[in-house]
Amino acid sequence: MAFLALNEVAFAYRGQQKRAVAGIDLAFDLDGITAIVGPNGSGKTTLTKLMTGILQPDAGEILLENRTLRSYSLAEIGRRIGYVFQNPEQQLFCATVAEEIGFGLRHQGWGPSAVRERTGFYLDYFELAPYSNIFPLHLSRGEKQRLAIAAVLAGEPGFLIMDEPTAGLDAYRKRLLADYLHKVAGLGRGVVIVSHDTGFVQRVADRIINLENGRIRGERWQRGDSLDAV
Amino acid sequence: MQFDPRTKLVAIICITTLAVLYNTPGPLFLLLIASMILLLFFRIDPRRTWGYLRPFLYLFLLLFVIQVIFSPGGEVLLAVRQVPLITGRGLDMGASVVLRLLVVITVAVLLTTASSRDIVLGLVQLRIPYEVAFMVEVAMRFLPVFREELANVVTAVQLRGVDLQRVPWGQKMALYRSLLFPVVYGALLKAQQLSEAMDARGFRAYPRRTYLRRLQFQSLDYAMMLLFLAGTSVLVWRQLV
Repeated sequence: MAFLALNEVAFAYRGQQKRAVAGIDLAFDLDGITAIVGPNGSGKTTLTKLMTGILQPDAGEILLENRTLRSYSLAEIGRRIGYVFQNPEQQLFCATVAEEIGFGLRHQGWGPSAVRERTGFYLDYFELAPYSNIFPLHLSRGEKQRLAIAAVLAGEPGFLIMDEPTAGLDAYRKRLLADYLHKVAGLGRGVVIVSHDTGFVQRVADRIINLENGRIRGERWQRGDSLDAV
Repeated sequence: MQFDPRTKLVAIICITTLAVLYNTPGPLFLLLIASMILLLFFRIDPRRTWGYLRPFLYLFLLLFVIQVIFSPGGEVLLAVRQVPLITGRGLDMGASVVLRLLVVITVAVLLTTASSRDIVLGLVQLRIPYEVAFMVEVAMRFLPVFREELANVVTAVQLRGVDLQRVPWGQKMALYRSLLFPVVYGALLKAQQLSEAMDARGFRAYPRRTYLRRLQFQSLDYAMMLLFLAGTSVLVWRQLV
């Protein structure tokens, strides 16, 4: 049984005739790193928004732990799936960097010392400690990206979806992120990344899904050495 | 039927003036009905109006409760240990505040039937400085963006595992209060970036502006404006005298 399964999923934005995605059949387990690649407008972000319940499919079904995604609230999905938005500004809403990282933990009932400890770890790992009391929207693009990733990772969700996580990151921080993602995947968690960064995808992904015009055009396993064209 | 945006602005100003002037639920209710009929006249789908009103429902409820509790007077309808909690005047005040807001928001929907460019043109032809008119256009254009950003924040909060439906009211209010500052400050930051981008593109580089198009009043516009101005004047006079 897959952790997250998409069966014949299709979606069109309101007022648009053309479907943003159609006929999507995919399954994700709680291991490995999957990259979704494709040109601009191919439906990658739409697909991730469907997988996190932000958008509801017009046709087909999405199952999370064998239950339809529609039956979960966004918060229930958020506790299982961490989602890093394409634009980090859309998910930064606290008054300081430290509060941003600890937000989810505090509201999920973590004690103050545990929140402090976990926040401290992510501030250090993503080299955000010098900015811990800064207003998040005052950070640079790359720092905002690191903060958005740190804030999502802090909740340690079982499955991670990251939309363009390397945008605005320098080579060193991309390496750090790649190391972390390998560590996360090694702990028995699934990771999906949407990226145009072919170098990063080649370095971290076990499985690469190619999306074009809202449809899956190919799927390739890098580590298992099997090749499938759809 | 195409009306000049200035005619719509006059209608909005007249109805808003009356909404501010009246302070009892009866006339305000009639004004709300009149605003709704006006929107139907302009062929605005009531579902669209409802879409604009819906986000404010909690605010209306909150304002109603605050007014009911803190505007004592008249017949006491409910008291707790001899402290009047709900009074006739409180209910009147609560209903009036909510109806007034409903009227203002409902009639403002009329502006959505004119393009922002036409509204700017209309304001400029009413001799309002271009800078002010442009500010109005920017505000109108950014309102949906701001609304979308608020929706994004609510989504992001929930995706961090916070179930807003199940958070107790007290905590929910505290949560919204804590989110308000960053969201408002974020909007101010964006305004600053926008002004820098405008300066970089030569906004107000020359003192005189020219316009490709000019709005022309039609006879129906004159009739509509006359009707609104005369009607409002009579009602204001009746209310004040």
